[in-house]
Amino acid sequence: MELSYYPGCSLHGTSLEYDESTRAVCSALDIELSEIEDWSCCGASSGHAIGGDLALALPARNLALASKKGLDVVVPCAACYSRLRAAQVAAREGKLPEGIEGIRPDIDVKSLLEVVAMPRILSLVAGKVTKALTGLDAVAYYGCLLVRPAYVTGRTDIDDPEDMDAVLGVLGAGVRKWNFKTVCCGGGLALGRADIVERLVFKILAEARRSGADVIVTACPMCLTNLETRMFEGVRAGRISKDDLVPVVYFTELMGIALGIPSVDGWFARHLVDPRPVLRSRGLL
Amino acid sequence: MSKPPDKDIKPQPLRPLGTISPLKPLGTLGTGRTIGASKPPSGNRSISLTPPAGAKPGPAGAKPAGAKPEAAPAVPATGPVGSVLVVGGGIGGMQASLDLAESGFKVLLAEQGSAVGGRMVQLDKTFPTNDCSMCTISPRLVALGLHPNIQVMTQTTLKKVSGEAPRFEVTLHHEPRYIDTSKCKACGECEKVCPIVETNAFNMGMDTRKAAYKLYPQAVPNAYVIEKKGSAPCRHACPSHVSVQGYVALTREGKYAEALALIRRDLPLPSVCGRICVHPCEEACGRNEVDEAVSIRAIKRFLADYELEHGAPRLPAPAAKRTDKKVAIIGAGPAGLTAANYLALAGVPVTIYEALDRPGGMLVAGVPEYRLPRKVLDQEIQAILDLGVDLKTGVRLGKDFGLADLTGKEGFSAVFVSVGAHTSRKLGVPGEDLDGVIHGVEFLRKAGLGDRTGLAGKVVVVGGGNVAVDVARTAYRLGASSVEMVCLEAREEMPAHFEEVEETLEEGIDILNGWGPKAISGEGRVTGIELIKCTRVFDEDRRFSPQYDENETRTVQADIVIVAIGQAVDPALFEHMGAAVERGAFKVDLVTLETSIPKVFAGGDAVSGPKSVIEAVAMGKRAAASINAFIDGARLDESYDQLAKKVDGRTENAERKPRLKQGKLDPARRAGNFDEVAAGLTEDEVKQEASRCLRCAVCSECYQCVAVCDAGAINHDDRPSDEVVDVGAIVLAPGFEQFDAGKLGEFGYGRHRNVVTSLDFERLLSSSGPSEGHVRRPSDHEEPHKIAWIQCIGSRDSRGERDYCSAVCCMFATKQAILSVDHMPGTQTTIFFMDVRAYSKGFEGYYDRARERYGVKYVRSMISRVDEDPDTGDIEISWVDENGAIKKDRFDLLVLSTGLSPSASVRELAEVTGIDLDRFGFAKTDYFDPMVTKRRGVFVAGVFEGPKDIPETVMSAAGASALSSAVLKDARGTLISEKTYPEERPVEGEDPRVGVFVCRCGINIARVVDVPAMVEFAKTLPNVVHAEENLYTCSADTQKKIAAMIEEHGLNRVVVASCTPRTHEPLFRETCRDAGLNKYLFEMANIRDQCSWVHFDQVDMANDKARDLIAMAVRRAAVLEPLVESPYDVVKHALVIGGGLAGLTAAETMATAGYGVTVVEREAEPGGMLRRMHYEVDGTDPHRHVEALVARLRQDPLVTFHTGSRVVDAGGHVGHFRSTIETPGGRFEVEHGATIVATGAVELRPAGLYGYGTDDRIMTQREMEDRYPGGDIPVGKNGVVMIQCVGSREPEYPYCSRTCCTDAVRNAVRIKEKHPDVPVTILYRDIRTYGLREQIYTRARKLGVGFIRFTPDMRPEVVGASGTMSVRVRDPILDRFVVLRPNLLLLSAGLRPDPEAVTLSKVLKLPMGQDGFFLEAHMKLRPLDFANDGVFLCGLAHGPKNVDEIIMQARGAAGRAGTVLGKDRLYISGQISEVNGDKCVGCLTCVRACPYGVPTIVDRVAYIDPASCQGCGACAAACPRKAIVTHHQSDAQYIAKVRDLFAPPAGE
Repeated sequence: MELSYYPGCSLHGTSLEYDESTRAVCSALDIELSEIEDWSCCGASSGHAIGGDLALALPARNLALASKKGLDVVVPCAACYSRLRAAQVAAREGKLPEGIEGIRPDIDVKSLLEVVAMPRILSLVAGKVTKALTGLDAVAYYGCLLVRPAYVTGRTDIDDPEDMDAVLGVLGAGVRKWNFKTVCCGGGLALGRADIVERLVFKILAEARRSGADVIVTACPMCLTNLETRMFEGVRAGRISKDDLVPVVYFTELMGIALGIPSVDGWFARHLVDPRPVLRSRGLL
Repeated sequence: MSKPPDKDIKPQPLRPLGTISPLKPLGTLGTGRTIGASKPPSGNRSISLTPPAGAKPGPAGAKPAGAKPEAAPAVPATGPVGSVLVVGGGIGGMQASLDLAESGFKVLLAEQGSAVGGRMVQLDKTFPTNDCSMCTISPRLVALGLHPNIQVMTQTTLKKVSGEAPRFEVTLHHEPRYIDTSKCKACGECEKVCPIVETNAFNMGMDTRKAAYKLYPQAVPNAYVIEKKGSAPCRHACPSHVSVQGYVALTREGKYAEALALIRRDLPLPSVCGRICVHPCEEACGRNEVDEAVSIRAIKRFLADYELEHGAPRLPAPAAKRTDKKVAIIGAGPAGLTAANYLALAGVPVTIYEALDRPGGMLVAGVPEYRLPRKVLDQEIQAILDLGVDLKTGVRLGKDFGLADLTGKEGFSAVFVSVGAHTSRKLGVPGEDLDGVIHGVEFLRKAGLGDRTGLAGKVVVVGGGNVAVDVARTAYRLGASSVEMVCLEAREEMPAHFEEVEETLEEGIDILNGWGPKAISGEGRVTGIELIKCTRVFDEDRRFSPQYDENETRTVQADIVIVAIGQAVDPALFEHMGAAVERGAFKVDLVTLETSIPKVFAGGDAVSGPKSVIEAVAMGKRAAASINAFIDGARLDESYDQLAKKVDGRTENAERKPRLKQGKLDPARRAGNFDEVAAGLTEDEVKQEASRCLRCAVCSECYQCVAVCDAGAINHDDRPSDEVVDVGAIVLAPGFEQFDAGKLGEFGYGRHRNVVTSLDFERLLSSSGPSEGHVRRPSDHEEPHKIAWIQCIGSRDSRGERDYCSAVCCMFATKQAILSVDHMPGTQTTIFFMDVRAYSKGFEGYYDRARERYGVKYVRSMISRVDEDPDTGDIEISWVDENGAIKKDRFDLLVLSTGLSPSASVRELAEVTGIDLDRFGFAKTDYFDPMVTKRRGVFVAGVFEGPKDIPETVMSAAGASALSSAVLKDARGTLISEKTYPEERPVEGEDPRVGVFVCRCGINIARVVDVPAMVEFAKTLPNVVHAEENLYTCSADTQKKIAAMIEEHGLNRVVVASCTPRTHEPLFRETCRDAGLNKYLFEMANIRDQCSWVHFDQVDMANDKARDLIAMAVRRAAVLEPLVESPYDVVKHALVIGGGLAGLTAAETMATAGYGVTVVEREAEPGGMLRRMHYEVDGTDPHRHVEALVARLRQDPLVTFHTGSRVVDAGGHVGHFRSTIETPGGRFEVEHGATIVATGAVELRPAGLYGYGTDDRIMTQREMEDRYPGGDIPVGKNGVVMIQCVGSREPEYPYCSRTCCTDAVRNAVRIKEKHPDVPVTILYRDIRTYGLREQIYTRARKLGVGFIRFTPDMRPEVVGASGTMSVRVRDPILDRFVVLRPNLLLLSAGLRPDPEAVTLSKVLKLPMGQDGFFLEAHMKLRPLDFANDGVFLCGLAHGPKNVDEIIMQARGAAGRAGTVLGKDRLYISGQISEVNGDKCVGCLTCVRACPYGVPTIVDRVAYIDPASCQGCGACAAACPRKAIVTHHQSDAQYIAKVRDLFAPPAGE
């Protein structure tokens, strides 16, 4: 399978490990990623909030670039995914700002998670698992943008998405049921209202602990950064104990372990809340 | 009014093996015409051993209990049609059907599901009486099932409606049941053997059922049904249509022999195909969409291997030779062998001619042994030969014998040519004739026939197909130093099977992809092969069209080159035969496989070109069927081997389960031997694999049910059909569906284990439910101690789509909370709600009881989160209370009170019937006639009209029946006829002569009870002159036999020992009547339900009990007496008491239906309360409606008004009452057949409440309307305040007056629309704008009407009633007092029972309820009837209700009255109580005991009017002097019965 790849700024910056693990995993699965040439900002950070034509024009430009190649676009970052999907929906409904052209209606925007969770790929993954994540209990944390809003994502399972659970299950992890799959982490208020955000993050953390998870698994750089930062600062300020922490990892990183990709250790080293101790204790590193 | 069963029932002709008689659509009405039905398959579907599904003949002409007369009067060619089509078999449809049938109309009841009963049968109890729902509805079900003029058609929908009332032409569509209801005895054997386990939708998916099932135990029709969506994709994909899903299902059950037998119906080579089949079934497998296909082939192989390992194969036995006509088969390959197999099984002599010295064709000469061990093959072939097939080997067509010899001197009647493609295709490149160049087919044949000459050196195989792979791998085994394959195609394009290629690579064989041979090089002997680059193999249309790059070449060294690029049939054969040939194959008729030469058929590779084994088998099977028909002079039908429609893979909710792969011989151990590579699956693995099957078609077509059905009721070839019927009117009662709680994901349904819907919970409460009435929470099956309900799930959602109240959920949840406490004392129950809508009769008291007696907590709230505790499964609910605080609590179980949605089918139904729907999908009807649609003659009933509960559904259904009846008044009685019976034989004075008929009920009774012994036992009993056993006593032929025995033995008493009198007594009584015997001379012993079923594991005791039951029945029979049912004429006139909206509407309905009506109105003017009402929800003026109605009725010659009058005395009985009316002009008596009570109610004058009477700005809502009929309400600037529940929901009058919320909100909207800036505030307790009225509440809120809630302990205060008027009220949301200063204060005053109703109740002897309203016979199912026969109730006299509901109820009461007046005569039952005046002392005990108020004291002794007596026996049981006898239930009869129980007849 060949797909156009839109990494977005996070994957080229703060979430390098997401980019690396994405590329490694896709390569192991014979998914060829061709990065969109000359891609630009999707507008997820502030562009979309400013509204107007810019909100759609930014992602639409990237779609137009991808249209040249005609391949479906895969987007690992949940926020980028949301913007590119929004542009795609607008394009299909003829609601793009005037002057934006060259978007092929047949190309689809998919999150990386959606791609991996396709039955065919999942079967492939199952066949390639060399180190099952046995003994590792995980909760799938989708956050808000991977599944919502429904008119953008086209999903019907917005209250209870299962894609990541399915992936983790195939990897052999113990997938814990919990209530906070799609609860907001407050990432959007991360700078302005850190107090509110911390409360939200601690709730997520508490639920994850209650479910018995060793790790929180995400597919969103914003969620990961926000969760890690609040936890880190919470410990530093003594508002939570170090024992309360649950590391947050990308699903692609766990896939890396299960598929036997050698470079995993380097990815985990970049996390603020170090997942390596728990992974080591389960014999996975 | 039943009609004669067809005296001349023709026995069903036995179906010849393998043919199918044309299907009769289910339940064809006498007038019905089958049209455009998809043609049922006929002809030889299969000629394998087991007869095709459904071919088994049952008891000839078997008929079920309650068999309907077949010869109904014919529909006239023109004019009105006296029949009505009722759509929907829920309680609404049932009520409409029964009312119509009782009113003189033929009824066709079309139900979409497999049984009638609707939602009500799923409920446990009903509110507010907590009666068992099933117990309540069950008698209705039986009545419906037995009614001679109701034809129940299940799985039936409407396709087209043309014409107009009173003559519609309706096309009905019947979906197949696959079980003939007229033959099915509901014994359940099919269910027992069915291997398909499905979630049971009736129990809301909380348990399972089989694909063959009965919807619920009391289902009507009392018959099983098979859920079969069509044929599975795997079966469709199989060229020979092997029932794949079937054998997979049987395998999962461990029924290996059955599974194999099923395969052999369509494939005689399971072991071969279990190994080498190309398994198109697996490519089609639904699982491919989820993960990977089921390992179907490996399952098949396991079955065949298992059989070989476990003793001799259980092969089908050949049929006895049925013909002398011989068939010759040329070629013993898979096609020839298959044809031989099925011809032999059909009893046709077969001879096979084979050119090789052994049979098997390509199986032996082409398939290497490591794929198909010879032993396996030989055994399979031998099994076919053992059927008596004659085999001649080593004889070649065209050389050793000629075709003409066979048909000529050898005398064969037909020849089947199934020669294979045994000639290799050549490359056509230079060097192909060099030494060392071998061709694939020849190479494999040599090896296959046992030549294991070794190969030396390097072998290059040219080709990329399966043969090339076989060649390469064979060469490898024969010792080649290395093997390399060369093919044009890229790896993924290679035609060889993927797995085979993998195995080839495992063996170290290289594959050179993308190269084609240019030349083979060498001098004399081959040394290499020159290759050229292939740039493209297929063109755009996927046709083989290779292109090469001339510039790119290479040479590969080779010692041997084997060319395996294809094969063909030897052209010499074609030449010899002289038959028409096309593209290297015989040209044949694709249906019959006939060639251009007479008597000669062809199949296999010779027809199709080289193809797979399973394709050859399919052709062989077809050839056998075709030849089998041909030798009888027939032609194979086009529809031969046609399957039911193909279904899609059933992937939704499918869990991923990896496919199990079979083990393989280690590649390192494959060289030099031909040991089988594939190891097969183990038994455990096979079962696991089989359980991966998704059951795409539901029914797997395993045909196990066919084998066990003694009644011959199963027909798997049943197909959908259409039927056209003529009807005069149509009643639509499609019912509702539960809102899908999964759509509101936030409540966690489907995600949190302990969240259930209200209907789920109902099944948990029900003793027939999945947990047998013990409420258990799903997660851990523990009893819940703390249960929550959340209301309005999918209701009152003003976001648009569901802005209506579902009307029933508040009471539904209240009932469930009460029952939970009843079931599990101490349970804490909490109901989260918005408003408690306890608006209907008895509801408020129920709500009070729930809070006060059962401690149900009601929390007014909006729910913000529903979470699950991952450890315990408990449900945590967070909500915001009225003060804005966030609360949280945990519960063991959460019940979501899901709303009612119009059925999914209504859009189509509306389109077909040409009626309009509202935006939610409810039927759009006239506000002043809620059952009337825009199409004349099409009426609606039940929830389709709007959300409503059971009694209101019944009312609307009765109303729809009345309206239909009015449309069809000229055709009443034309399609029903009264049955005439032979004159009754007098039996007085005769000694009892008892005939005993003991039923086997298939094996239902016989399995446990020794039926022959019972017959012998019965013969020893006193008075028994005849006893016999029957397979099914209820079948029509047995009925005839019973009649014959009555005649032959002069029987004067009949005893049937079988099932239950509940369903079958009427049938047997009918048989007695037909034979000239009084029906009361029949007695029944229940040796099934109460014996063989309940004591199945205590055989000895069950037999003892059966003996007792039979002896008891015989003893009672001996003392049974004939009873006379005397007829009397019905007075076709109705008396309506009350001239308000209800009475007038009822009178109008009766008059339109053609009956005379007398209306008695107390006041000087008819019109009642409506004369003072001027505003209606739809904006019309109800006052005008009633004025018009009065004017119309005054013109009607059938209607007589008596105003200023009263009924002062009443006598008589149903069908013939005599009432005395006092009019201003004096008293007189009126005779009438039915009475309708519609005396209305009055509005409270709330003196002393909220300043009423102290200020003329304070008035009731009705006073306001009356004062400002034009709507010019003096609202001033300060607007209006309204206070609700004035005089309602108070200790003295605890009921809700129901109309006031709607009235107030409606008036508020009216004011606000006219004066948008003027404040309007409603002070309320709960806003009860139930049902579709919710929309006006939403409108009011949008318009800015203020709503402030108050509680009884903090009522609004009205102060300063002179000058500035102010109302002070505490607002619970602001949590402070608010003072309003309105211009007008409207009090929503409650309704009070009519003060004169008490007097009337005494005159008519009618019961009244606590609140002072009249009390109906049953709050759920008889809301319009009094317990007293022939007296009906409607309007406010029954309880508060709105205008549209009054009209609905009045129509309903008229419909009920029509069931009396529609008959010409009624009968006094035989089973009635009679007083022995000599013994009676007039003690009044019976007067008090009778629930119907029948006994009276006449001349100091009790008198029981025979026509009024219901025969319940309460009086006879209570009478201290034993002065009363209830006939047919006399003491003497019971003493005879019981005495026998304790003193058995031994020694008598």
